[in-house]
This record gives sequence, structure tokens and C-alpha cells, in this order.
Amino acid sequence: MHGIDLFIVVAYLLAIPAFGFYFKRFVKDDADYFLAGRMLPWWVISMSIIGTQVGATDYVGAAGGAYRFGIAQAHYEWIGALPAMMISALLFIPYYWKAGVYTVPEFLGKRYNLAVRIIQAVLWSSWLIFFLGVLFWTSGLMLNEYLGIPVWVALLITATIVGIYTITGGLAAVAMTDVIQTLIMFIGGISLSILGLWVVGGWGAMVDKIIPTNPEHLKLFLPMDHPTYPWMGVLLGLAFVMSPAWWCCNQAMIQRTLGARSEWDAKAGMVFAMFPKMLIPVVTVLPGLIALALNPQFTGPDMDKAYPWLIKNLLPTGLAGLVFASFMAALISSVDSILNSAATLLTKDIYQRLIVKNAPNTHYLKVGRIMTLVFIVLAIILAPLTKLFPGIFVAGATMLSIFQGPTFGITLIGIYWKRATQWGGLFGLLGGVCLSSYLFFVIHWKFLYIAWWSFLASIIINVIVSYLTRPDPNEKLYGLVYGLVMKDDEMQDILTKRAEGAE
Amino acid sequence: MNEWLNDFPIFWSKIVATLTFAGGVLWTWIRPKSFIFKDAPDEKKWRDLRIWITVIMISQIVIYLYF
Repeated sequence: MHGIDLFIVVAYLLAIPAFGFYFKRFVKDDADYFLAGRMLPWWVISMSIIGTQVGATDYVGAAGGAYRFGIAQAHYEWIGALPAMMISALLFIPYYWKAGVYTVPEFLGKRYNLAVRIIQAVLWSSWLIFFLGVLFWTSGLMLNEYLGIPVWVALLITATIVGIYTITGGLAAVAMTDVIQTLIMFIGGISLSILGLWVVGGWGAMVDKIIPTNPEHLKLFLPMDHPTYPWMGVLLGLAFVMSPAWWCCNQAMIQRTLGARSEWDAKAGMVFAMFPKMLIPVVTVLPGLIALALNPQFTGPDMDKAYPWLIKNLLPTGLAGLVFASFMAALISSVDSILNSAATLLTKDIYQRLIVKNAPNTHYLKVGRIMTLVFIVLAIILAPLTKLFPGIFVAGATMLSIFQGPTFGITLIGIYWKRATQWGGLFGLLGGVCLSSYLFFVIHWKFLYIAWWSFLASIIINVIVSYLTRPDPNEKLYGLVYGLVMKDDEMQDILTKRAEGAE
Repeated sequence: MNEWLNDFPIFWSKIVATLTFAGGVLWTWIRPKSFIFKDAPDEKKWRDLRIWITVIMISQIVIYLYF
């Protein structure tokens, strides 16, 4: 790496923690730490959502996927995200926000029962920790590859950068640094795509080079016998279940909307995030197609080298540093959010609910900071295991596809069907997870179909069990389900009581 | 069950995708205005989330019909 590139990367790595650390002064209690004092405006929420959702692994993986399968890879950003974000903004977020909760499992606990809350908190936090290990390892490899420093030193650098502002500043620091990092991510990524298109001779020339040997690469929907993206699986599994589950029930995505300064900001934050989301394929999928046009030699697992190959072979001095900084921005903006969300889940749903109840707010602030530190240490320990025991992390990824469908099923029914009972929710969740485990481990179905059928199963079980058990009283459901809406003063009263822990 | 789904011709994919996006637009416009602007500082046009969603969904319909 040349001097100017190195300067850009080092300047970025120093500026981000310094900027994030500034927000420490605004953190006085657990609400400030976990929900940014419920003061986030819509534009911060939307940029933070995108920063959290797009990681460095997406760059490499999506470009590799586009190299392998073509533009169908963009489903994850388009039909596999945008309708779900709209649903999340207008159907789910208003209920979460009005309920005054810190976490999605906390909402499900209020709607159903403690068991549902604990199961959800354990499932999501376990998955977040797995994913954190993978992200830390990726950052170690990247810094090792481009700056030549040992992997363990690179891990410590990442941990220090993220730790400085995530432990001290909480969600406010995470969200505000995400804004800067998302901008850097787009500037670097779009620069690479423009340069790549210029080198290949424009869009038309790129298409002419790709189509003769890869006739399906510019088709969004692929035949039913396609091994990875059969069109029906994309629609039923990805668009109608996995994506809504991700955007409506994932704590890391939802948490910044819970910290919104108003219900409108919460909704607008998610809706406005749809604009940058729509552009993500320009920085992830398009480079894969450009690499295929310029160098169609990669085969098998080497196709994932499409993005690194472009960086190495296309970028001039100065731009290489900017693109590498955007790569790091994508990674760090995901790591900080996941750390903060995992700490929130364990502090609010496990520690505060099961271990120490009714302590002062400052106590939970301290515990939240300790939890964040513990997760950083855990991530450093787990990171090298990614290489030694890849099966562990494959299991982590599988776990997500197994519980996403049932999670979405019980949340949807919980909000929009008053008759759903606590036992319906619990057995719907457990039944759906059992079915998806069976379909995955015994029958070896494609995960897109597993998500769809486990979602349906969780709804059917929920409905049957709910009809067989006693309905929950209206007092319990007030403000949590459709049709039992609160007036503003009633809602304010409930929010105040919940904030005081007096519910 | 999956075999039954396999029998649908691929042109249905574009129809379903278009209906999904168009349905999203229609659904947002039947939301009450008071719900869309709830807690908003004012009711200026740019704060109308239905307009944002319409722009995005129409772009998606164009993309999915083209590719």
C-alpha cells in the first residue's frame, strides 16, 4: 500500500473512535446507553440501519455470488429487502415503539410469556455472538492482507477501535459513527464500480462480454431447478418470510428505531433506508459482474476472489486507500451495532429479567458496558476458531435460517390476532423450530423452502393451540395488538410506568 | 408439496414480483393520513412516507420488468 493510501486508512481508523467517544458525555443511564436516550432523528436511523446491515463480508460474498450466478444475487437487496422494510416500518415498528421496549424479545415477552422472551433472547444473542466472531476474523484477515500486520495485532486494533466508542457511548455513538461510515462505504464502493465500468468499456460492453458464455447472468429470476436461487424459493422463502423476519424481528435492525425521538422518526428511518438499500447492488453485485467481464478465469470457490481481484488490479494510488477504508467502514459499522444489540439483549432480557431486578438505572448501564466488553473479548476468542472449526460458524448461519420463519410467524400473529394466547405463541415458536430443524438436518431441504414451511407451521400451531387455551385478558394485550390501540395520554402513562420499572 | 410448486411457469415470477411491489404501493395509500404523519412536526409533502415508498416501489417494478 502506498503512503497516501496508508495515510487515508490510518486517518480513518483514528478519526472514527475519536468521533464516537465524543458521545460518552450524553450517556447518563441505561436508556441513554441502549436507546440513545430516545433522541435519534430519522436520517441517523436510516444511515445506521444500512451501515449495520451491509458488512465487509457482503462485499466479497455478494460480488462472488454475482460472478457465479449473475444479477439474481441482487434479490437480497431488492425484493428480498424493500417490501419487508416497508412492512417493518408501517406494521411492526409503530407497535414496538409504542410499547416502549428495549428489545424485540421483550415485546414478545409482553405479548406472550417469559419463556418466549428468554428463548428469543438466547437464540438471537447466540447468533449475534457467532456472527461477531466471523466479522472479527474477517477484519483481522483484511488488515493482515492490506497492511501486513499480524492477524492477532489486527484483531486487537479492531477491538480497540470499536470498543472505545461502543463501550462508552452506546447506541448514540454507534448510530452517529454509522452515519459517517455509511457515507465512506458508498463513496469508496461507487468509485470502484464507476472505475470498473470505465475500464470494461461501459454497461453495454460488459453485457456483451458476459452474455455469450453466461446467458442467465442478467436475469433476475432463475429456473426452478437452479441449485441456489429457484424463483419460487426466492419469492416464498426469501421475499415473504426470511426477509420480513430479518427486517421486522432482528434486534440489530430494530434497535435504532426504538431509539427514535418520535413514532414518525422511527417509521421514516426505516422507510428512508430503502433508498440506499436499493443502491447496494451498485457497490456489491456490479463489481462481481465487472470482474466476470474482465477476468472470467475464476472457478469454484475462487469466484469469491472477484472483489479482491478488482481492488488489486484496478485501483490507482489514493483510491485504493479510500476503497479499503470503505471496506473497513462496512465491517466496523456492523461490528459496533451487533455488539451493542447483543449487550442489550443479555442485559435487558436475561440479566435484568432473571438475575437482578429493580436495580437503579445506572446499575444496568454499568452491566451493559461490562457485557459489551465481555462480547469483545468473546469475539476475539471466537475469531480464530472461524478458521479452525468452520463447522461452528456454519451451524451459526444455519441456526438463523432455522428460527427466522417461526419468529416472524409468532410476531405477525401476535400483533395482528388478538386471540393468540401465550401458549399458542410458545408452541408456535417451538413447533416451527422443530419442523425447520427436521427439514434441514433430516430431509436436507433448501433453506429458502425451510423458512416458508416453518413459518406456515408456526402460524398453524399458534392458531390451533390458541383456540384450545384460554384467551389472554384485554388488560395484558392493551397497546400490543392491532385493535387495542391506546390514546396518547394512556400510552404516555404506560411508557412512564415501564420506564420506571413499575409495570 | 415443493414438486407442485415446481410446475408453475417462470413468467409467473415477474407477475408475482410486480404485484408485490404494486400491492405495497396501494396498501400504503390506504393507510390513514393520520397514521402516516403521527408525531411528525408538520404535514409537509416531503414527510409523506407514502410518496417515498411509491418512488422506491415503482423503481423496483421497472427493474424487475427489465431484468
